[in-house]
Amino acid sequence: MSRSLLRSVLELRTPMTRLPPSFLLPIRSRALTTTTQHVDPSIPPTNTPTQTSIPPRAPSPPTPNTLSRPQHQTPPAPPSAAAAATAPSTAQFLPLLRAQPNHYITILIHGRPYLVTEGDQIRLPFLMHGVLPGDVLRLTRASVLGSRDYTLRGAPLVDERLFECRATVTGVESEPLRVKVKTKRRNRRSQRVASKHRYTILRVSELKVLGPAA
Amino acid sequence: MSFFRIQLQRSAIGLPKRTRGVLMALGLRKRSQTVFHPVEAQFAGMILKVKELVSVQEVDRALDSKELRAERSPEPGFFIEKAVPR
Repeated sequence: MSRSLLRSVLELRTPMTRLPPSFLLPIRSRALTTTTQHVDPSIPPTNTPTQTSIPPRAPSPPTPNTLSRPQHQTPPAPPSAAAAATAPSTAQFLPLLRAQPNHYITILIHGRPYLVTEGDQIRLPFLMHGVLPGDVLRLTRASVLGSRDYTLRGAPLVDERLFECRATVTGVESEPLRVKVKTKRRNRRSQRVASKHRYTILRVSELKVLGPAA
Repeated sequence: MSFFRIQLQRSAIGLPKRTRGVLMALGLRKRSQTVFHPVEAQFAGMILKVKELVSVQEVDRALDSKELRAERSPEPGFFIEKAVPR
């Protein structure tokens, strides 16, 4: 009884730790999280319906040619029409994406996606051969690159010249020994099969979004 | 020299012995198996016999099993940029 009273007093004293009631929360949060590339390819990219009033427009539509070229040359971009449609919007929104502080990326290692940000630790579901702890890996395949307000979705891959992502091998982890008892019918013999897999640990040490100059 | 790249799409289960024989002669034993044969009249005729079961492409050269496997597997997506001394 007294403890709950004390707690309520403490919570009243530090109101910042609690979220305000829901009607006070910013109603624009959904609009902030809309991605830039939800633009339908049929809609011309000059018309930007996903832009709300919150994010500023691009200060100057910078050099669409230099930016659209790498996006267009992405090897696995099958529909050329879609690539052409997304390329100008990439050129328009990439500076805005770069200007934002924190980025996330969905990197593909052996075709499997890992959504990470800088400083994250990944335990790969396999033992990576040929690497030692301390090795720096450069990750070159990504399907999504984004920040709080903008998302660059690859079709199906983000151009590897647009980002720079490095990961450090920090070690190898192993699971607890698993013992599976295998039996055959009508037979008293039982076989114990042990397995103890090892997994490589990576830490994402660097994630940079590159501009047209870099 | 160009090759037919032939992949068995439909299983041969329940088909006449004659059709199965054509598939065996092409070297197709199970579904989604891929074989390469040179573009010649006899192979074209065999393909026509089983055209409802296979998909055919004309390619420049025959791939071996390792290359076919590499074609199916995704890219690693990383390389070692700075290695510790080993």
